[in-house]
Amino acid sequence: MKKDILAVFAIILIVAVIINGTEIQSVDEYYLTHIDDITPESETVFISIRCDTILENYDELDENLRSEEFVPPDGVILPTTEYVLREGDTVFDILDRAVRYNKIQMEYQGIKQNSFGSVYIQGINYLYEFSCGPLSGWMYRVDGEFPNYGCSKYVLHDGQNIEWIYTCDLGNDVGAEWISNMGGQQK
Amino acid sequence: MKAFSNYHPAVEAVYFISVLLFAMFVQNPVIELSALVGGILFCCVILKSSEAAGNIGFYVPMFFLTAITNPLFSHNGVTPLFFLNGNPVTLEAFVCGIFTAVMVIAVMLWFRCYSEIMTSDKFLYLFGRTMPKLSLVLSMTLRFIPMFKRQMHRVSRAQKTMGLYSSKSFLDRIKSALRVFSAMIAWSIENSMETSASMKARGYGLKGRTNFSMFRFYAEDIILLSVCTVLSGITVSGIFMGKTTFYYYPKITELNLSLYSIFVYTAFCILSFLPFIIEVKERIKWKYYISKI
Repeated sequence: MKKDILAVFAIILIVAVIINGTEIQSVDEYYLTHIDDITPESETVFISIRCDTILENYDELDENLRSEEFVPPDGVILPTTEYVLREGDTVFDILDRAVRYNKIQMEYQGIKQNSFGSVYIQGINYLYEFSCGPLSGWMYRVDGEFPNYGCSKYVLHDGQNIEWIYTCDLGNDVGAEWISNMGGQQK
Repeated sequence: MKAFSNYHPAVEAVYFISVLLFAMFVQNPVIELSALVGGILFCCVILKSSEAAGNIGFYVPMFFLTAITNPLFSHNGVTPLFFLNGNPVTLEAFVCGIFTAVMVIAVMLWFRCYSEIMTSDKFLYLFGRTMPKLSLVLSMTLRFIPMFKRQMHRVSRAQKTMGLYSSKSFLDRIKSALRVFSAMIAWSIENSMETSASMKARGYGLKGRTNFSMFRFYAEDIILLSVCTVLSGITVSGIFMGKTTFYYYPKITELNLSLYSIFVYTAFCILSFLPFIIEVKERIKWKYYISKI
């Protein structure tokens, strides 16, 4: 009987650790984000989310996504918008704030869940990696250049312009040149 | 008692393969549900009632476990219910999880019925000539779990007489179960070696060796085979015409309720209820004849 008490104690401990590690938010709580007001002295960046390449490869898109609700007819999910840059903000922080503020769905793989030590964006607005052919997924561009590392490692400066672009061909269709030089390694 | 097992093995094999393939690969709630109900009814008529009661204790927790696991790992879907560690838990993922559980349980029940009806002699009769090694391995694998359960019961009874399981402590019980299990592993390895050695000694798979079997193709077999083929053909036509197409992500599609798709659903429903109908018909016949004596 003594052993049983020990076992029960161990189970309670495990359950307590799991409960401690989970955080439950209601939908409103999750989307309630504080966006700083833009004042003359605040530093800002621009962000846009587009999926034009899907419109060019519409026949490769998964059938369940072929609707204007998921792929806007003009390819613009978030038009270029200005957001206040906080100290040490990365591309991921700005994206996270922007999609929460605009209630755009996003799913990502956290820093601990992949071997690159950086956040990986799996899908925005229900458009996931591999949704439009086997070489498709989300990429980002800062001031016209594709950085060769994850978006949570890119620390931003004042006035930079972030573009999140959906590619259907490993970046070749949106002008990411290093990919063809690197022999097709993912971002 | 089992009317369905009196049919020709080839007909039964065709039937089971078609139902299992549809249940496994057609992602449509109506098809999945009718496969589940058909499987439950079939199990109810061919299994002993004591065994059926024991199965519920296994399948119901299994159902809920499968249904709840899906939303924890799949975050796609347009209607978030709440957010868990920053990831949405969506209605679509719940619904998808429930129907995945329906599919898994339905397939398990159909395999349970399969192992009851397609005994290893039937299996070896069908495939023993064309692929002796593979069919022996398959039939040994398929009867492994029921045999394992039986032997486990035997071993644990023997261990009980030696004083195992005497302590009421939960941990001690787990320890005893582990001991029985380790004995079972050794036994199952030895058993499979013995089986293959004895089959070899009997000249299994050698040239010129014949099999004795009592299976003949009767008129009823032809009727069942043609009914099964027609119903499967209708279902396949529905699948290829996209009448059964259904998506859970990102938004649950509306069920296709056109005339043709209802026709397809009815065809599959009849297909999955077929063995139940045959069994019940046979029992009514039996009762009727008895009442006349």
